[in-house]
Amino acid sequence: MSTNRPLFIPVILGTTRQGRASENVARFVFGELGRHSGVETELIDIRDIPLTTTDAGEAIKDAKFSAAVTRADGLVIVVPEYNHGYPGMLKHVLDTNLKEYVHKAVGLCGVSAGGFGGTRVIENLLPVMRELGLVTIFWDGNFSAARKLFDAEGKLLDQTYVNRIDKFLKELIWMSKVLRYGRENVELS
Amino acid sequence: MKTNKMICPDCGMEMNHHAEKIDYTASLHEWSATDTLFGGILEEVHSCPACGNIETRRASEV
Repeated sequence: MSTNRPLFIPVILGTTRQGRASENVARFVFGELGRHSGVETELIDIRDIPLTTTDAGEAIKDAKFSAAVTRADGLVIVVPEYNHGYPGMLKHVLDTNLKEYVHKAVGLCGVSAGGFGGTRVIENLLPVMRELGLVTIFWDGNFSAARKLFDAEGKLLDQTYVNRIDKFLKELIWMSKVLRYGRENVELS
Repeated sequence: MKTNKMICPDCGMEMNHHAEKIDYTASLHEWSATDTLFGGILEEVHSCPACGNIETRRASEV
């Protein structure tokens, strides 16, 4: 029975930029998620997904990324806010799949240099999630002043984020379980 | 009795039809297959309760 399989919830690092502060956030969330029993995870760096920019969509699907999303019960997307928007390369990667996302949970972690914790990029990304068929949770990760949050080795300096992300992850895990049950047992009437 | 269930090509289990999604991109290449009511090609989404595999098929082909 499907409930015996561990949940699979990969963390997507949603930027390819050099010097990206989001990498520390993604590694932190990945580490916290890995502490939860019954959950398997993987850090997916979109920099490692080889995609052409002369085409888009399912025509340029990357087999490895697609397999990971197919296996996934939920996703964490760590997304920096660039000029209030999300990185074009993240959208380019997300657009390569469609059926793989339907009725799966997603939690968004916004990352910003300033004080708003990527709230604007999260709001901008929500309609994209909806159109892909993903189900967003009502907790977000908001990482403000991202360059000051970690030391040179990538260690988190503000421990209050541990409790906040724990709430976020618990909600994501619950939603992932429920949606898996629905996908595999509840028929569209 | 004939069943309309998809069979998982990976493990052979009956799959669960849990969603329908309009594929707008496919209709760009196959205009003749476009459902004028939805403005795209309506796809059924099926998930396998045994292995988690996901498959789609066109609603018009069922």
